[in-house]
Amino acid sequence: MLEWSDEDLMIRDAIRGWIDAEVRPHLDALDSGELPPYDLIRNLFRTFGMDEMARSSFKKRAAGEGSGRSDGSGGSGGNPSMSILPIVELCKVSPGLVTAMGVSLGLAAGTIMKRGTPEQRERWALDLLTFDKVGAWAITEPGSGSDAFGGMRATARKVGDEYVINGSKTFITNGPHADTIVFYCKLDDGRDPRDREILTFVLDRGMPGLEQSRPLRKMGLHSSPTGELFLTDVRAGADRLLTGGGGDGKASAKQNFVTERAGVAAMALGVIEECLRLSVDYAKTRVLWDKPIGDYQLIQLKLAKMEVARLNVQNLVFRHIEMQRAGRTPTLAEASAMKLYAAQAAAEVAGEAVQLFGGNGYMSEFRVEQLARDAKSFQIYAGTDEIQITHIARDLLSR
Amino acid sequence: MNIVVCVKQVPDTESPRKLKSDDNTLDRAAADGVINELDEYAIEEALLLKEAHGGEVTVLTMGPDKATDSIRKALAMGADKAVHLVDDALAGSDALGTSYAIQQVLGRTGFDLVILGAESTDARTGMLAAMLAERLGVPQLSLANKVEIDGSSITVQRITDYGYDKVEASLPAVVSVVEKINEPRYPSFKGIMAAKKKPVEKLGVADAGIDADKVGLAGAATEVVDFADAPPREKGQIVTDEGDGGAKIAEFLASKKFV
Ligand SMILES: Cc1cc2nc3c(=O)[nH]c(=O)nc-3n(C[C@H](O)[C@H](O)[C@H](O)COP(=O)(O)OP(=O)(O)OC[C@H]3O[C@@H](n4cnc5c(N)ncnc54)[C@H](O)[C@@H]3O)c2cc1C
Repeated sequence: MLEWSDEDLMIRDAIRGWIDAEVRPHLDALDSGELPPYDLIRNLFRTFGMDEMARSSFKKRAAGEGSGRSDGSGGSGGNPSMSILPIVELCKVSPGLVTAMGVSLGLAAGTIMKRGTPEQRERWALDLLTFDKVGAWAITEPGSGSDAFGGMRATARKVGDEYVINGSKTFITNGPHADTIVFYCKLDDGRDPRDREILTFVLDRGMPGLEQSRPLRKMGLHSSPTGELFLTDVRAGADRLLTGGGGDGKASAKQNFVTERAGVAAMALGVIEECLRLSVDYAKTRVLWDKPIGDYQLIQLKLAKMEVARLNVQNLVFRHIEMQRAGRTPTLAEASAMKLYAAQAAAEVAGEAVQLFGGNGYMSEFRVEQLARDAKSFQIYAGTDEIQITHIARDLLSR
Repeated sequence: MNIVVCVKQVPDTESPRKLKSDDNTLDRAAADGVINELDEYAIEEALLLKEAHGGEVTVLTMGPDKATDSIRKALAMGADKAVHLVDDALAGSDALGTSYAIQQVLGRTGFDLVILGAESTDARTGMLAAMLAERLGVPQLSLANKVEIDGSSITVQRITDYGYDKVEASLPAVVSVVEKINEPRYPSFKGIMAAKKKPVEKLGVADAGIDADKVGLAGAATEVVDFADAPPREKGQIVTDEGDGGAKIAEFLASKKFV
């Protein structure tokens, strides 16, 4: 893939038109956290028929399985650009909105689709895939982030036919608003906590003993509400336990890391393209000592580095699209390499854009400061830069 | 119902537009082409009428090869098929020539209703609907902000300076629409994917039975003899409010005949 196809460009232009009309007028409210992103995401789904497509591909998959046939795709079916382009375009204005959407669809619904029974998918995943409901995916705890499974304290104890779940989670995207929560914890079977099996439950908002916090205050990404979950003796039947897909919760979460990390590359591309576009415009129009600042080599260096980053990240995104078309998934190490590079590139480009804009860069009106704050999150969630490095190195050294 | 929507590709109003120095016609290659804005409302209205009454929506475009992009977009919004009249002999046609050429194509496709945007953002003559109706010998219902169809009769609200007129006619007819009529939809992703499989018939002048002498720059009854850039905007006048600001502004507006 060398460039977006004509069909891709039509999708891109349609999304751009929608963003200009529906999202840009609300950017301040989104960035102050005053406006949660969910109604806009639903509007996006309805406008472009993404809800209908999700529903019909869900039905098709269910019918295929019933008759023993399955095309195995399970996803948007057809053109992968169709899910990538909205991510790229939306990240130009609101990486938080994309985070909220991506966690609900890719992680929460994705896990239920991979590991759920047909009944569980019908019960929870379908509404998430159409965005009628909002999903969260909860692993991180106050005492365990990078060491997600080793340090995990949340437990499920079997009592009769049910499980009784206790524990708390933090930094959970959509935590404050989620209708459906994919919750990871350890089976308390008396073994040493480090050796315990990881279980994955699906919980519903409003279950007795489940408390969802208000959004936490944070540096950026305000359009993505992030919160805590507190569970006190939450009783869950075995019908809420996800057991399919092979391996335990840990193995399945790792599959999600691949999707999540590759997705960050598309998000980074949006941030980089927007910062570059704004920076080139500004370099041409801001005049100092009777010359546009673009005439100064220190500014040219910034622009050239942004362009290099754009090309590299775009190539990664194109490669990922090609892999999807070929029915292949990147390895964890490859996805980690993509994410590491793309996250760093986006954070650096956005930071340099602030610098290029000078005082205006520090002012919200010029937009780049928001993107700089938002892009920093790419280096932390879905595994920190340091964790990506360890995954890449471990893979290299194991060969 | 057989609905034909005339769709013109025009230079994007957001990109700078230029006239060619050799023949004083619009440089269509220089700017990005987009669907003429009012034509999007025409497409939407056609789709709404089809959804309500059944039938088929055909997009009719006269324009260069690159107008294909606009045709695809109209198909992605939901039109069923398209006819693209494309021929070098048509370049430089004026409104008379264009209405003649489109009339010839409509003779082939047939129609119960032809819908157009009230004007295009490039030439802005706003005459095509009237010329077309005259040539076709059917009623024209212009500047519609509401269209209703009942059997073989059509009623529109025609916007006027004072409100609207209610105008009724029998089908077949030609309707031109204004932007108050509806809110054009975005093409859905499914629509975009489906668009490439929808039929687009390409016709040249000869295929459509068009007499080449009556179209194009040579066949045009009108000619652009000269053009000049719009004068730069004059400096505004600042009214300092010393308790009489409102009166001063009213005076200014009255002097310019705005009120
Ligand atoms: C905006 C946002 C949204 C999030 N959404 C979710 C969500 O939806 N669901 C969810 O479960 N979690 C979510 N998280 C949590 C996120 O995944 C964790 O914050 C992340 O994995 C890092 O964990 P930590 O915060 O505990 O940092 P720590 O693990 O405490 O890391 C502290 C520092 O140590 C470094 N470090 C850790 N291990 C090593 C090592 N072996 N070698 C060298 N350095 C190391 C880290 O890179 C970091 O610099 C979100 C976080 C943010 C910021």
